[in-house]
Amino acid sequence: MENIQDYIESGILEQYALGELSPAEQAAVEAEAARHPEVREELAQVQQAFGFYAEAHSITPPAGLRERVLGHVMAQIAAPSVTPNASLRADVDAAAQAPRATAVPAQPTAGEATVRPFTPAAEAPAASRSLWAMAASVALLLSLGVNALLYSRWKDASSELVAMQSEQARFATTTQVVQRQLGELRQENQVLRNDEFKAVALAGTKTAPTAHARVLFNAATHKVYVDVRSLPALPAGKQYQLWALDKGKPVDAGVLTASTASGQGLQPMKDIASAQTFAMTVEPEGGSVNPTLSTMTVVGNI
Amino acid sequence: MSDTSLISLPPAAEADLVRRLQARDESAMTLFYDRYSAALYGVIFRIVKAEDEAEDVLQEALVKIWHAFASYDASKGRLFTWVLNICRNLSIDKIRSRQHRVGSRTQGLDDSLTAQRQAAPTTFRPEHIGLQEITQKLVPEQRQIIDLLYFEGFTQSEVAEELNIPLGTVKTRARTAIKVLSKLIR
Repeated sequence: MENIQDYIESGILEQYALGELSPAEQAAVEAEAARHPEVREELAQVQQAFGFYAEAHSITPPAGLRERVLGHVMAQIAAPSVTPNASLRADVDAAAQAPRATAVPAQPTAGEATVRPFTPAAEAPAASRSLWAMAASVALLLSLGVNALLYSRWKDASSELVAMQSEQARFATTTQVVQRQLGELRQENQVLRNDEFKAVALAGTKTAPTAHARVLFNAATHKVYVDVRSLPALPAGKQYQLWALDKGKPVDAGVLTASTASGQGLQPMKDIASAQTFAMTVEPEGGSVNPTLSTMTVVGNI
Repeated sequence: MSDTSLISLPPAAEADLVRRLQARDESAMTLFYDRYSAALYGVIFRIVKAEDEAEDVLQEALVKIWHAFASYDASKGRLFTWVLNICRNLSIDKIRSRQHRVGSRTQGLDDSLTAQRQAAPTTFRPEHIGLQEITQKLVPEQRQIIDLLYFEGFTQSEVAEELNIPLGTVKTRARTAIKVLSKLIR
């Protein structure tokens, strides 16, 4: 007990804690500490006291230092070490516990840090490499997944584009049709609103009492339009033909299209120079040179 | 012990940090930095006495600590004690390598003490209860010896030589100072 107390008070534990001992002396202290609880406790106390003293002198590092230092450290520990493990180990050992005898021969260093030679020497860089390999694998998988997703989205987008293009073409066609119809309606409207056009009502004859149509005749421009309200349906191969009677003489004013005959709108007919009466007959498809009077359906005077 | 002290960091938290660092968990390095950097930087700065060099040493120390974690043995001491020693030894190597104390010892000591006094106002953390207590409880002679041993990297014999006092007196004062510090921890 006396010896142990002497040992404790010899100052060697402080030297150990301050890193002043050679590796051999260090090992001797550790052996003493392992053997005697009092030494172990005393040593822990000395280390704690220095730790407390150090911590009491804490300085918050200047602004920006954290990012710089952590950045450099992360880059260095992430990069595969070029230092062979053995020399790295020696380097670290030197940092932690090497005697500082080079500069001051009388004072070998022995950190109580007691950094031991790496037993798993290859562990650090290998672990770091495999970590990076894993990270790279994960990144590759993620990238593949994202690529697949992007490819399917691209395909979707592409087929959507085709669909939209055909849709647009359909709209364009529709628009053209509508434009044409609108033009026709405008034209009809102009005719209907034009005071120069005289409306001639054509009433059904006794063969078709309910038949009813109109002729719009512009005596100045000689334009003629026909507007069907109701006409009997025709057998196949037959067409209605409009005639203008000028002083009792029939003049061909053209045949009516099926849609006009069914009453869908005005139809421009052949120009007529002069007329007092308009009449419609049923003629073979394409019309006749002379009207078949027996088939006269509607007739009306100006 | 004070609850906020690093040396009294909850054993579970410290063990967890050590486990993560030994498992090469790089994110744990950030945690480690945030927890220990002020204490480590404080020691490094007080030894090298220049901000740029302190930064270099801290960086170098962290890389070494990272690579040496596999060899850290928790049964031999606290994590803080271990990393503190690595930083302290690197810092002392640094000032030795630039021949910090060329010339007469007395001249060197005067310089270093002056530097310490000048550095004090900006580097003190007066709010740190530990430092206030230390200032109150340690007599100047004791504090001087601890500073020489701890922040200047002097050996006990060098201190004796430097202060022109017997080696036994250095040892006694150092031991008394450590007892005072130990009482402050409790």
